[in-house]
Amino acid sequence: MRPDELRRIAEGLGREPTVVELYAFDAQWSEHCSYKSSRHLLKQLPTTGPNVVLGPGEDAGILHLGEHNGERYGVVIAHESHNHPSQVVPFEGAATGVGGIVRDVLCMGAEVIALADCLRFGNVDDPNSHQRYVAQQVVDGIAAYGNAIGVPNIAGDVYFDEGFNDNCLVNVIALGLVKESEIIHSRAAEGSAGWDIVLVGKATDASGFGGASFSSLTLEEDNQEANKSAVQVPDPFLKNVIMRASYRVFEYLREKKITAGFKDLGAGGIMGCTAELCGAGGYGAIIDLDDVNVAVENLPPEVIAVGETQERLCWVLPGDVTADVLRIYNEEFSLPEIARGARATVIGAVQAEKRYVMRHGSEIVMDVPIDFLTGAPSTGVRIANAAQDDKVGAAQDGKVGEDALLTQTLSDINNCSREPLYKEYDSVVRGMTVTPRGYADAGVIAPIPGAPLGVALGVGESVIEAVRKVVAVGARPIGLTDCLNFGNPNNEEHFAQLVSAVAMLSEEAKTLGLPFVSGNVSLYNESASRTAIPFSPIIGCVGVIDNVGKVVTPALKHPNSPLYLIGAHEAGSSLRPENKRIAAILEAIGGRLILSIRAIGSDGILAAAAQMAFASGNDFGVEFNDEMARGARYHGWLIEASEAAAFEAFASRKLSGDDWHRIGLTTVADIDGEVDIASGGQSWDLDELCTAWRKPLAEIYA
Amino acid sequence: MSAKVAVLVFPGTNSEAETVRICRDVGLDAEIVHWSKAASLPTYDAYILPGGFAYEDRIRAGAISAHDPMMDYVIDAAEKGKLVMGICNGAQILLEAGLVPGTGAVRKPTAAFTRNAPSGKFICKHVHIKLTGDPSRCAITAALPSEAVIPAWAAHGEGRLAASMEHLEQISSGGHLAFVYSHSDGTVNAAAAPNGSALGCAGLTNKKGNVLAIMPHPERDAWNFNHPERVDGKDILAPSGGAAFFRAFAKALS
Repeated sequence: MRPDELRRIAEGLGREPTVVELYAFDAQWSEHCSYKSSRHLLKQLPTTGPNVVLGPGEDAGILHLGEHNGERYGVVIAHESHNHPSQVVPFEGAATGVGGIVRDVLCMGAEVIALADCLRFGNVDDPNSHQRYVAQQVVDGIAAYGNAIGVPNIAGDVYFDEGFNDNCLVNVIALGLVKESEIIHSRAAEGSAGWDIVLVGKATDASGFGGASFSSLTLEEDNQEANKSAVQVPDPFLKNVIMRASYRVFEYLREKKITAGFKDLGAGGIMGCTAELCGAGGYGAIIDLDDVNVAVENLPPEVIAVGETQERLCWVLPGDVTADVLRIYNEEFSLPEIARGARATVIGAVQAEKRYVMRHGSEIVMDVPIDFLTGAPSTGVRIANAAQDDKVGAAQDGKVGEDALLTQTLSDINNCSREPLYKEYDSVVRGMTVTPRGYADAGVIAPIPGAPLGVALGVGESVIEAVRKVVAVGARPIGLTDCLNFGNPNNEEHFAQLVSAVAMLSEEAKTLGLPFVSGNVSLYNESASRTAIPFSPIIGCVGVIDNVGKVVTPALKHPNSPLYLIGAHEAGSSLRPENKRIAAILEAIGGRLILSIRAIGSDGILAAAAQMAFASGNDFGVEFNDEMARGARYHGWLIEASEAAAFEAFASRKLSGDDWHRIGLTTVADIDGEVDIASGGQSWDLDELCTAWRKPLAEIYA
Repeated sequence: MSAKVAVLVFPGTNSEAETVRICRDVGLDAEIVHWSKAASLPTYDAYILPGGFAYEDRIRAGAISAHDPMMDYVIDAAEKGKLVMGICNGAQILLEAGLVPGTGAVRKPTAAFTRNAPSGKFICKHVHIKLTGDPSRCAITAALPSEAVIPAWAAHGEGRLAASMEHLEQISSGGHLAFVYSHSDGTVNAAAAPNGSALGCAGLTNKKGNVLAIMPHPERDAWNFNHPERVDGKDILAPSGGAAFFRAFAKALS
């Protein structure tokens, strides 16, 4: 905490803060909780639109998915980073990242239906390096947690770059399904003065103490031990049971027609959660720290108040239902028998007076105006020069597909097969998965039993990349989530990067007519040597498909199909034509003119074709007949059409001539039984390419 | 009247919803029975132990759950000849409870599903399982055609059958090997098993043939939309290959 902030607190309170208050303000006014350096920037992002059911501001955003049997359904989306913890204690750090994002979705009254993870690791060439260890343990941690709670992991990406040697990135996205009439908000409901504040979950311990400020610091080598204690301990087993018990409570509250408040405990612990929950409803709160179920005796009050013990949530409930809710958690789902000390318990009450009060023993250890506590001052609007020619993220780093180097391109660690990593993730639990991880550019699930309606989730380093992936499965993009992973905002250069990235995201989203409904900012991603990460905005795009029977995948389907490019050679010259291209592709997929499709990445057109061939089990190859397949980066999609005449008639009606090109056709095995990618007199045997493509990560995730 | 099937939920189970869904789809009166409602178990006609990580897979997957009080009822029901099926974690529990292959005493396992080889890691992969031997050897598979190939998802960290040579021999000679991993065309070879399982084992039955333990999940390939090789024009919400397995189960209960 900065000296001027300390002064401000003393002035605001009219006295020096108590120890508990000091820790409370330190957490609540941290970058992590308050977005104090980024708040004014984030206002530029579009957040409204016809699909928005709930924009940013609560624990997760909600987009309108569609209707089934007269019921309106929303898809809940939340996005979080767990970068600092994952660098220090990678397994636990990544696992608790998943745990946290799942709670953000759950507490909206939603069933958690999908996960995605976007990972950035350092140079992992040395098998004995910490970077290699981090890269392996993070994946194991995500797998262990997501698999155990039973939420399918359907999308994600991973890149490697030296710039992440001291700061890995672990971003996780979770989706939920909720009937729009049954959303539970992250605030004390109207008329809730006097209602009970009920803490649910693991017994509070000393783990994760100081986590909010820890994540808002630069990682220093010599503080490794202290940093470790700021990381929480995951318990997916307990979470599995808490999720199911909470679904039961949702059902109970619906029957009783109760409007409750429900919120996840994250950074800032009991204090952060209850202050925001009650403050957002326009109330104050009185918390009795003696009533908190603790794992060890004699914890100092500040640890109980702001420690970030995992697997906890908080309800605001009318007193007459409290006993029933406690019975569901403690008896029907027997939380105290699942984990020592775990339970649901009343820890305080909502009060009309807008003060936040904490009692411990016979003492009042905290008594502050609630809005002062939750209203961290912004660091102010800063003007930064736009960053010039900066490398955004790591994806751009993959070697662009030079023709002669296709084998090298495909075996580059940033382009090679991700299967060795994601095969550890359960991608099909819940039995609703349409395209499991790796089967298509975006993950698709059919979350409503008996309905053909699908939700797609695609990720990328820009809005357009995530959007193109969603479009590639045939889904209509409806909204976005972002996590901005940047360096120290007090560094002019890094701040300028943040400013220009937000401006870029905002422009892209506005042009495409897509709102951001949730997001996260992770700053201070730099090491003791002050080297910052390659700044990395990570975007998730949600799409809707009316009938999952129309989902297309990248796997080539037939021999002798014509292949087309749709898109442009120049990046972002203007995004306006992109709307037309997206509409045309969705219409063509709907009309079954497209058999297979892939969004072209930074690895180029040839690599895209090779991966479409791999997905067919190397049954079909590709012969390019046009120079366009070679060299320069292409921004768009590679498409296998069902039939040339019909597709071309459609394309000439819907697209301008520059936007689409016929570039080749699909092939089958030659007389030697070889299937090839062929272009400009050169050809590559698919089996050999595939072996090279599968190898790099198979060695790391053996 | 359709048979009443209990889908058991232990602390840590995670596949109960999709299991109930497919059971209901094939006409069974299936419902979730939670560990706190164990006493109601005797009123059911048959039992399914679904997938998950019950009791966190501590010691070995299924080892703790085999001693959960719910299993007293299941063991009793199996002895009375009622049908009991375990999928994935449920299969691991049935082995740990000694119900399959059932060549030893109750809760004295003679075989176990252990950590995958060679990776030692959880693996999520689409697979096929093939019925071996006479379909009527096990009541649950009796309605399936001979050598039926069922699509399913393997999603487990501990799916490798391990047992002593003597017990493996008993499994083979006693006709306990119900399913082996195969390719989609029914070919069986070492490459078909995703986990290094002994005998290529994907499923085991007991002596009486009223208990079946299978590792992969047919309930996750139960509708056309979740079959990875979707065929254009097929009703996307219609049952796919995995549903055939549950239809056979329903038939056995009719």
